[in-house]
Amino acid sequence: MTKLSVVRASANVTNGSAASADLDLSADVCIIGSGAGGAVVASVLAAAGVSVIVVEEGGYFSAADFDMREAHTLPKLYQESMQRATADLAISVLQGRAVGGTTVVNWTTSFRTPEDVIDHWAKKHAVGGFHHADLLPHYEAIEARLSIHEVDESAMNRNNKKLYEGCKAKGFAVALTRRNVYQCMQTGYCGTGCPINAKRSMLVTLVPDAIDAGARLLFRCRVDRLDIAAGEVSAAHCTLLDASGYGVTGKRATVRARRFVLAGGAINSPAVLLRSGLNENGLVGTRTFLHPTIAVTGLYEESIEAFYGAPQTAASHAFAHRGDDVGFFMETAPGYPVLAATAMPGFGAAHRQMMETASRRTTHIALAIDGFHDDVPGGTVKLRPSGAPLLEYPIPPRLWEAFRTAQRRLAEINLASGATEVSTLHDPPITVTGEHDLHRLDEAPWEPCRVGIFTAHQMGGCRMGDDPRSSIVRSEDLRHHTIKNLYVIDGSAFPTSLGVNPQESIYGLARLMATRLAAR
Amino acid sequence: MNRRSFVQRGLFGGALLLLGGSTLALYPTRHLASPTRWLRVLDERGFQVMVAIAARVVSRPDADPVLIAHSVDESLARTSPEAQADIASLLGLFENALLGLLLDGRAAPFTRLDGPAQDRVLESWRDSRFVLRRAGYHALRRLCLAVYYGDERSWPAIHYGGPPDVNGFFHDDSKAGTPEWIAAQDQKAGAP
Repeated sequence: MTKLSVVRASANVTNGSAASADLDLSADVCIIGSGAGGAVVASVLAAAGVSVIVVEEGGYFSAADFDMREAHTLPKLYQESMQRATADLAISVLQGRAVGGTTVVNWTTSFRTPEDVIDHWAKKHAVGGFHHADLLPHYEAIEARLSIHEVDESAMNRNNKKLYEGCKAKGFAVALTRRNVYQCMQTGYCGTGCPINAKRSMLVTLVPDAIDAGARLLFRCRVDRLDIAAGEVSAAHCTLLDASGYGVTGKRATVRARRFVLAGGAINSPAVLLRSGLNENGLVGTRTFLHPTIAVTGLYEESIEAFYGAPQTAASHAFAHRGDDVGFFMETAPGYPVLAATAMPGFGAAHRQMMETASRRTTHIALAIDGFHDDVPGGTVKLRPSGAPLLEYPIPPRLWEAFRTAQRRLAEINLASGATEVSTLHDPPITVTGEHDLHRLDEAPWEPCRVGIFTAHQMGGCRMGDDPRSSIVRSEDLRHHTIKNLYVIDGSAFPTSLGVNPQESIYGLARLMATRLAAR
Repeated sequence: MNRRSFVQRGLFGGALLLLGGSTLALYPTRHLASPTRWLRVLDERGFQVMVAIAARVVSRPDADPVLIAHSVDESLARTSPEAQADIASLLGLFENALLGLLLDGRAAPFTRLDGPAQDRVLESWRDSRFVLRRAGYHALRRLCLAVYYGDERSWPAIHYGGPPDVNGFFHDDSKAGTPEWIAAQDQKAGAP
C-alpha cells in the first residue's frame, strides 16, 4: 500500500515484523501505546527534548489502507479482529489496535470532561492532584491542534436528524456534537479509518509531531511484561509480531529506560501490570468501565442510510443525571453492513428481512454511565492462560434498569420522529408500532446474551487516587504508588466512567500530566 | 473463558464429560462439503458443522455456506488461541447428539438434521436458560453474518451502495487544520 507522507518513514520508525534479529533499545522514556494517551505524552516529551521510544502493538497504516470495507479494515484496526468481548460474550468490545490507537477508528465525538465528574473524583476517589481549571489550557491546546469544533446542523445525516428531531419533539435536551475533523467530506467511515485524513486522529497529528521532534516508534511490538528491580522498572520485554499482527516472528525486543509510561488503554494497560506481577493491593483491573450501550432501530418510510454521513452529530444528555438511578446519554451509531448485521438480532429469514430494510433504519444508542453508584462497580480485567486480557463485567440490576428506561426513551424518540416501527436488539426482537404498544417493551428479557450490548468507551482498571489502598496511581502525576519510575497515562486512570465520549478527556489529562513530567 | 472452563462452567458440561464416550456422542458427522482450501483453525468435523450453521444463519439464495465457513475459519486465525479453542468446543457441543438429546430432544448430530430441525436447535440455544448456550449461539451467528455482509456481493440486497468515491482526495499534512496552518494557507492564497 502507498504510504502517505503524513505517515512517517524515517530512521526513527521501526517495523517490528521486519526485524531480522532481537532488538535492544534504550531511551529516557519508554511509552507503551500510541493512542489518545501515549501519542500526547510522546509529543510533549519529545518537544521538550526528552529521548522517547513509543512501543505499539498494532500496525502503522495510512489513509491509503482505509478503503472503507469492513472485511479489510476491521481485522487490521480493532483488538482481536473486532471480536473482543466480555468473558460471557454479553458485551461486544469495540477497541482500536494500531498506531494512533482507538483514535484511528473512533467516531470523532469530542467532549471535555464534565466539571461535576472531576468534582466527584475529588470527593469520592481522593483525586486531589488537579482541578478542572488545570485542564482548561490543555483542552484549548488540543482543540486547536485537532480542529475540534461544533458541527453545523447541515452536517447531520438522517440517522442523527431523527434523533435530534425526536428529542426536540419529546422535549428532551439535545445538542450538536463537537468533532475533531478538518474539511470532513462526511463519508461516514470514521469507524474504519478516515480515508482522507479529515479526522485529526493521533495517527496523523501527534504521532508525526512526536517523530518529527525525535521520538522513535517501534510498531508490531507487544509488551509482555515489565522487569522490576529495586522498586523500579528496569526494562520492558516484548514480542515482535508478524505482518498480519496476529502471529509472532520469533524475535523479541527489550526496551530499557529511566521512566516507563503505560498507555495501552483500559483493558490492555492493567493486563501489562498483571503480567508483570504488579498487583500489590489486588485492585489492578478492577473498576473497569465501559459505558455499556444498548440500541434500538427505527424503521422509516423514507431512506435513512445510516452508513453514510458523519456518524455522530447529535447527542442528548437529558437523562445523564438520574439521582439514585444510573444515568445514560443518547447518540447514534453508523450502520455499516457488518456492524449492522452483527447487531441485528435473529438468523435466517427474520434476520434477512431486517437487513433488507437496513437502509431505512436508524441505529440509535444509549450509553449507561457506570461507576457513579456503589453497586455499579464496573468490570474486572484478568488474564487468560496465554496472558491475553479477559474482561469480566457482571451487569448489576441498576444497569439493567438504566437499559430498560433508555430503550423506552429511544423508542419514544423514534416514534416521535416518524418511525413506523421500532425494534429492540433482543433476540428475538420486540417491535412496537406506536405509543399504544410501548408498554410491550416492559416485557423485554434483560439478561446477558438475550440482547445486544456494546462498548466503544473503555475506561478505568488502573485508577488514580491519593490513597494507595484504593488506587493504582497517584493523581498528581499518574505515577504508580510504589514503582517510582512507572506512570499510567491513559483512560485506564479514570476512577469512573465519564458520561461523555472519552477521547478529549484522555487528551486533556495526558497533556497535563506529560507537561508536569517534562518539567522534572 | 478457556476451553476447559467453557465446558465445565455449563450446567450441561458435567453430563457431557461423563457420557462423552457414548455411542450418541460419537454419532458421525455428516459430510456436507469438502473444504476448497487449507483449513487454518477448524478441523474437518468443525468445518462441516460450520457449513451447516452458516446455511441456516444466512438465509439468502446467493449465500454459499462453504465460502462462509472458510471465511469464518480465516477470521478465527486472527483471534487468540483461547478463542479458537472455545469455538472448537462450541462446534463440538452443537454437533453432539447426546447433548442434543439431553437438551433439545434430538438424537442426531446437528449436521444430520433437516433445515427446520436445525433451526429449532438454534432457537433452543438462543432461548436457553444457560448463558453459555446463548453466548454460543450469538458467537456462531455473528461470525457467519460478519463474513457474509463483509462481502460486497451481499450489498445490493440491503440497498447499500458501497463506500463513496473520495476522488483520490486526502490531506497529507500533519498540521492541516491548525490555526497556524490555516493562516499560512490564507497567506499563500493571498500572496501575489
